[in-house]
Amino acid sequence: MKKIYQKHSKLLFICAAVVASTFSACKNYLEVAPQGQITQDQIANDPTQAKNLVTGIYNVFYIGGFDPDITSLQFVVLSDIASDDADKGSSPTDYGDALQVDNLTTSATNGIVNNVWTGHYQGIARANQALDKLNAAQFDAATKNALIGEARFLRAYFYFNLVRLYGGVPLLDKVPLPAEANDDKYQTRATADDIYKFIITDLDFAVGNLPDKGATDVGRATKTAAQALEAKVYLYMKNYQKAYDLSNAVITSGKYSLVQDYSLIWRQKAVNGDGGNNNNESIFEIQAGINKSCSAGINLYTVSQGPRAGGKFGWSDLGFGFNNPSLSLVNEYEANDVRKAGTIITIQPNGTRLFDGFRIPGRDSVENDRYSYKAYHSRSAEDNCGGNTDRLPKQVRILRYADVLLINAEAAIQIGNVGAASTSLNLVRTRAKLASVAPSLTAVWHERRVEMAEEHDRFFDIVRQDAVQPGRAAAAFTAHGKTWSSKNALFPIPQTQIDLSGGRLKQNPGY
Amino acid sequence: MKRNSTISGLMLLLFFFTTNAIAQNVALKGKVTDAATGESLIGVSVGIKGTANGVQTDVNGAYSISVPTNATLTFSYIGYTAQSLPVNGQTTLNVLLKGESNELKTVVVVGYGTQRKRDVTGAVASVNGDQLSKQPVQTPTQALQGKVAGVQVLSSGQPNSAPILRIRGTGSVLAGANPLYVVDGVLTDDIRNINNNDIVSLDVLKDASAAIYGVRGANGVVIITTKKGKSGPAVVSYDANVGFREIASQIKLANRQQYVDYLNVASPGKITSDDKSPLTIPGTTNWADAVSRKGFYTNHNISVSGGGDKSTYFISGNYYNEDGVIKTNNFQRFSLRANNDVKISDKLKFSDQISLTRGAERAVDIGAVYGNVYRAAPIIPSILNGKYGNTSAWSNVGNPLLQLDKTNNFILNNRVQGNVAVDYNPVKWLTFHSAFNLDARFNNQKNYGYQFDADGNTFTVGGGNQRQTNSSLFVQNDNSYQYQWDNTVTFDRTFDKHHFTVLGGVVTEKARSNYINGSRIDVPANQDQWFLDLGNPDLNATNSNNGSLFTRQSYIGRVNYDYAGKYLLTGSIRRDGSSKFAEKYATFYTVGAGWVISEESFVKGGIFDNLKLRGSYGELGNDNIDPSLFIVTGLPYQPYYFNNGTLANGTIIQDIKNTNLRWETTKQLDLGLDFGFLNNRLTGEFDYYDKKVSNALTYVTLPGILGDPDNRFITNAASYQNKGVEFALRWRDNISPNFSYNIGANISYNKNTVTGLNGGQALNGGGANGQTITRTENGQPIASYYVLHSTGIFQNAAEVAAAVPNSLEANHVGGLKYEDVNKDGKIDANDRIFAGSYQPKYFGGFNLGVNYYAFDISADFYGNWGNKIYNGKKNSRGSANDNIEAGYADARFTTAKPSSTDPDLITQSTPPSTYFIESGAFLRLNNLTVGYTIPNAISKRAGISKFRMFLTSQNLFTAKRYSGSSPELFNTDILSAGIDATNYPVTRTFAFGVNVQF
Repeated sequence: MKKIYQKHSKLLFICAAVVASTFSACKNYLEVAPQGQITQDQIANDPTQAKNLVTGIYNVFYIGGFDPDITSLQFVVLSDIASDDADKGSSPTDYGDALQVDNLTTSATNGIVNNVWTGHYQGIARANQALDKLNAAQFDAATKNALIGEARFLRAYFYFNLVRLYGGVPLLDKVPLPAEANDDKYQTRATADDIYKFIITDLDFAVGNLPDKGATDVGRATKTAAQALEAKVYLYMKNYQKAYDLSNAVITSGKYSLVQDYSLIWRQKAVNGDGGNNNNESIFEIQAGINKSCSAGINLYTVSQGPRAGGKFGWSDLGFGFNNPSLSLVNEYEANDVRKAGTIITIQPNGTRLFDGFRIPGRDSVENDRYSYKAYHSRSAEDNCGGNTDRLPKQVRILRYADVLLINAEAAIQIGNVGAASTSLNLVRTRAKLASVAPSLTAVWHERRVEMAEEHDRFFDIVRQDAVQPGRAAAAFTAHGKTWSSKNALFPIPQTQIDLSGGRLKQNPGY
Repeated sequence: MKRNSTISGLMLLLFFFTTNAIAQNVALKGKVTDAATGESLIGVSVGIKGTANGVQTDVNGAYSISVPTNATLTFSYIGYTAQSLPVNGQTTLNVLLKGESNELKTVVVVGYGTQRKRDVTGAVASVNGDQLSKQPVQTPTQALQGKVAGVQVLSSGQPNSAPILRIRGTGSVLAGANPLYVVDGVLTDDIRNINNNDIVSLDVLKDASAAIYGVRGANGVVIITTKKGKSGPAVVSYDANVGFREIASQIKLANRQQYVDYLNVASPGKITSDDKSPLTIPGTTNWADAVSRKGFYTNHNISVSGGGDKSTYFISGNYYNEDGVIKTNNFQRFSLRANNDVKISDKLKFSDQISLTRGAERAVDIGAVYGNVYRAAPIIPSILNGKYGNTSAWSNVGNPLLQLDKTNNFILNNRVQGNVAVDYNPVKWLTFHSAFNLDARFNNQKNYGYQFDADGNTFTVGGGNQRQTNSSLFVQNDNSYQYQWDNTVTFDRTFDKHHFTVLGGVVTEKARSNYINGSRIDVPANQDQWFLDLGNPDLNATNSNNGSLFTRQSYIGRVNYDYAGKYLLTGSIRRDGSSKFAEKYATFYTVGAGWVISEESFVKGGIFDNLKLRGSYGELGNDNIDPSLFIVTGLPYQPYYFNNGTLANGTIIQDIKNTNLRWETTKQLDLGLDFGFLNNRLTGEFDYYDKKVSNALTYVTLPGILGDPDNRFITNAASYQNKGVEFALRWRDNISPNFSYNIGANISYNKNTVTGLNGGQALNGGGANGQTITRTENGQPIASYYVLHSTGIFQNAAEVAAAVPNSLEANHVGGLKYEDVNKDGKIDANDRIFAGSYQPKYFGGFNLGVNYYAFDISADFYGNWGNKIYNGKKNSRGSANDNIEAGYADARFTTAKPSSTDPDLITQSTPPSTYFIESGAFLRLNNLTVGYTIPNAISKRAGISKFRMFLTSQNLFTAKRYSGSSPELFNTDILSAGIDATNYPVTRTFAFGVNVQF
């Protein structure tokens, strides 16, 4: 035996060494970096990537359609179709969830309510991810704070929509660690006041750190955009002094003016330097473009609101036909108000010619009476991505100067500054080719309705006005042929989300 | 005592001394024959006991050797009981070797080693290679069908498709449910490169004994061992078969008249307005026939094996060529194998087992083709004078024959698989083994789509929307390698009645893969120009490249102990490290025990030749998931635009991942009984098992506040259970040396249940038109049908008026009635019920074999019952002008001929219901083979040691209740298993073959 070992000791040693080395040599053998992917750690260590994360938040505006949604059809349902400005449209039975909203009978299981909830939280998650990585990134302070300002501006915008839609919602101020995600802190609703306070904190930071218009890329959040949004938030908070001050700051910045021809505000291309994308009046606007994969536009925004074939059919139509301007809205316009024609495509018995020369056939071949002109994107006179109609590069105007002027007018009335109110209000009226009127809440509210119609503002505005002057909502909906009840001021918390929170999210009253 | 031993020692010494002194050599001759058949045995090792000297018998079974007159000769031959016979000065010594009927002596491969079957405590089944190679099928797994209890095999008629294997039920949904394959130690997921003729045995580890393969053992392990050479003269074998395959049971589609009648209801006015158009032809086009054919195939194998004292070799080559039964479909395979053993010394052995394969396939997109075959109008010609019938101009689907002809998808797979190994035995009972295994694949694909217009050049009549405005080319190169270095030490020693085998080792693995591909349009139609550079670089040009990498590091250990061959204990452990998880290491184990009752004195000599009770329990894993599923990653290049048209690239981090993702865990209990009676003529096994899967990957819905785009993530939540029994019985008998026969049967019962989703989503599976058809829900089998309960047909307006409203389909006379299951006064998605699954309750096979003089006959049957099929093709209609099945056309409700079973119309909005569910039970004659071996005396004259001819047929007939073409459905998507949508037709094969040995 001994002999054997001596004789073969060399080989035995080699064998033992082989076995031993495979045991020990590979301490890091199992640490394999993911291939062909960028990890969040790599992003955190790369300033360019951290910057791209901010751009990535803007990209969230493109989601929508029948999936989670921020600015597309389902947000349109909750802001316009829900209001007295619009009817659901399309064919009578199409899209039952939207019909519920239109009839003020939204249930907690309504899919739209859930998709708009999840869509906005996607935006918030992207903002929080960017903030998380930016905080650790190595930049010069001004660049870094400007980027943080953009992220916080966008986050504030998402929360502003949420608080207006649902009231208090879960407040996520960062990316929760996996272990924390189920904490009560995130799974229960903060109060609406807390959300408003949070929005103000974000916007204060944004105002303090964002560059001026012209000092940054067109389309990025600017200091004045943050001021305009904050002014609007303060209007909802009934802090009229702040609303006045901030809107006044936007006005006195001198960076904005009204587009002369109202109907050109929503065009892609300026006409004789007036209107078009990113025009003088635009304060914050969703940017779109044409890329190879045709993915740089809001999913279904335009096509869902486009004129729809019906009756005799026989033409290649422009969309699904949702969000029809209501009769109540039509009746709101004063005679000679140019905004009516700029807002509404009214289907004529013998055919309707649009600005680009497109002819919609006679009423008997069209499904509905009226469609939104502001959502229209010309297939011929404006750009598209190789005929793709789902993601037409329509740039939705989120904040524009006329809105700020009307915020300013209303806030001025509330703080007793009639002179300022008159100036701001009548600037808007003059552009609409209407005579000046004396400023009053009623006058401003009428003006807001016709100026901002089909711009996804009316539902929130009428609820806000109702809080200032109780009864306004009920009256407005009566005129619209619908019955308002106080529970309709907020949409239900989606039942799916209540279930996923284990019942910790509490439902709004009345649902 | 002491004195005695001294004396005997002295005598022994003396004996040796005298032996050496007086030994004289004699020339001894003889012949070795099979004791039962009298057949001469070739290559029998004839050795002189106590020396290394020996010879082998020649092709006539004869040997001659020079031996000392007092020597003892040993005769050994695989599969036969070895004999030792003293020479006793004789010059002729003829030997009859008895075949080893005793299965217990058989060796089985158990992973990183072998064990005598009698010592095994787990559920391990073995199939001989010749059982596999005798069948005219491409893959060994397909040939396994019906042969092993507990192993369900689903194969397709499509050339080069890898059969689906389910060992003891479906144990996973998202991490794959196929077993691990081990070819000569190489761990792999694909054995289509293996030539069936190269296989010596196939072993299936069904129970927790697969724990030696740790995190990959949960779905069972199939171990394939390829042939080795034997010392002796070279043996040349040529095995070939040629034949053809045809569709076993062609689907029957409605003919012209049936279609026209149907159209008058489904699409009123269509016929009167268009029928006279030049689009249509008189008579009927059978679209299923139009795209299919008889597919010829050939399979040639040649092997040379042999060796000397120090080395053996086995070299084989295979050429396989098969035309698919769908037109244009073809597959060719060349493979080469070299398995060599070299003994460098008594203690050091070097070996290699290497195979090279080249597979070349012209693939067909069967989903697209059959999707249109079912629907194409039978009044349109398929092709007429070189021009295609224009189905799409008839507001119908595209012409499926044109689809086939205008696409050339050519896929080339080159593969090197094998290992080199060193075995070192410093002493007899100790073995160091080191093997370097490699599995490398180099694949190339060119998919060309020809340009054609919807005009009179292509079609009999122009129009419609079936056209390819631009030619297109997609090219992909992908390659992968996986290496695996095994280092083991085996200690095998007997102390008195205690026998130990101890194994320890380390296995290191690395797997890398990458692909690069591109596509272009407007590439010329000439095949010599199918390169990306000849396409349009500016329009619709795409390029893509990515890859993956993962590693594993494992420590293995196993102890086998037996006491006196009666009491058996086995324990094995594997500590697996995997780069796929944040928590790298996991430990898997098995413990087993056996009691060989037949070795007990109170049983021995009784009726039992073998009686063994065994049991095992262990834990196994499944890590077959995407390597970076637990890593939070960013998505770059998300577009946004600034400055009126300047692209800015955004990055987003959005998918929520479970950073603590783990492998799926399976705990399995197995209790078994092996028995043999009547001289082991009757043998069998019985097994009970209970297999519980926990931490199975599934989707869990996330609260919206976390911002995940689809509001769900994959995590370890679900639990499944497979519980069942297996029973196998074999009878074999030799009535005379010229007449023997055997009968075998096996049956398995399995019950599959989702025991808990634990917060996970019920997973839905779909079919045609994107409908949900199956749901994997608590308490139900995986992929259970979840559909409305249809209760008949509305016969008259009064019945319709009395019915509850249906929100899915309008109630009408001739329409389907459904049960309002939840009694809410309306029919909707909430009225769905669970209605069975495709997983059979029982499956099994039986086989017969007879050898009568020169003839041999064998028949293998296979079947299953207790499962259901969803006839999805019946419900695949997408428009009112689509064709229907002939059976339905005859049976459907018409005013003239009311039906109480079949509705007047099936449209795309007909909801999934029990109407479409049929029985999946069937019994099939899987293989029938008749062989004739030319008597040795005749073939010998031609220098041929064996010449056998045979006729064989695969899938000769099937007894089934299902109305579709085949109850055997090949769906790799676990959640769609059982939905007969666009399956490649199951084939029947007729072949003629020869086995020749020189």
